[in-house]
Amino acid sequence: MVDDTAQLYTIEGVAAGFLMILTAYFIISSSTVITPQETHIADLQLEQLGSDALRVMDTPTENGTPGYLALCLSNYDPISFSDNITRLINTKTDSGTDRLHYNTTIFYRDGAAIGNATFGGDIYYRENAVKVSRLVTVDHFPPGAGIPNRKQVVLVEVLVWRS
Amino acid sequence: MAKLNDEGQWIIMMGFIVSIAIFIMALIVAESALVGKTTSESVLEFPKNDIQDLRSELFDRRWSDFQDPAAYGNLQNDIINLSLNRKGAVISFSYYQPGDDSVLLIHYNNGLTEYNDMYTERPSELSRGVF
Repeated sequence: MVDDTAQLYTIEGVAAGFLMILTAYFIISSSTVITPQETHIADLQLEQLGSDALRVMDTPTENGTPGYLALCLSNYDPISFSDNITRLINTKTDSGTDRLHYNTTIFYRDGAAIGNATFGGDIYYRENAVKVSRLVTVDHFPPGAGIPNRKQVVLVEVLVWRS
Repeated sequence: MAKLNDEGQWIIMMGFIVSIAIFIMALIVAESALVGKTTSESVLEFPKNDIQDLRSELFDRRWSDFQDPAAYGNLQNDIINLSLNRKGAVISFSYYQPGDDSVLLIHYNNGLTEYNDMYTERPSELSRGVF
């Protein structure tokens, strides 16, 4: 016959084992708890990703030549810019692409005033976005761009958000 | 008078220990959410990308456009005004050449973070191999 004494001790043993596993789980997972109201960590990653994309595009491939970002601006070519930044921010290590969108505005100085010109991107419907920016020296702008045609530093501001 | 029942003391003590353990675990979980918030907030607040961007732009320009006084004044105006208007950051920088040296002074202040930088290049020492 099965011995049915010490049942409480058995229950206690099981409970203690369960408690230890639960404690280990909480301690391991406590460093990555994200509460629903807490989106700063995602913002931080988006900001870094966007800044890195702009930095890559602003880095010249050869010494003494303008970077790709400056070329896109001096040709006023939002389509080439779009192709590059979309690929840079949406590339994932595994197959498939991410769901990031962007919207670009160029800010320039016109006398004492600051003017702005849109430079392509997706339509922004007030999603939770971060803003990254980059100072770029541009030799000239084509006449159609509406930006004073001189050698100048412009600020490229890019809104990045995930849909 | 009824005698006090002193059985099951071990079980009661374990009950206390378990409840205290659960309470402490709840504290740890509550702390961790706060830690993630404050660290990411302080990282977001620090204008790391702005300062790196400013530095890289100035270092890119120092041998080419900054050699021409008219272009230097124009680009300086652009950078200072754009930073003040779009980022709320007060920037001043100057590039000058005492003797053979080239000196680049950078000042950045956005109200939370202040950054000062002085960079000197001495071609005479570089050519002699003295660093």
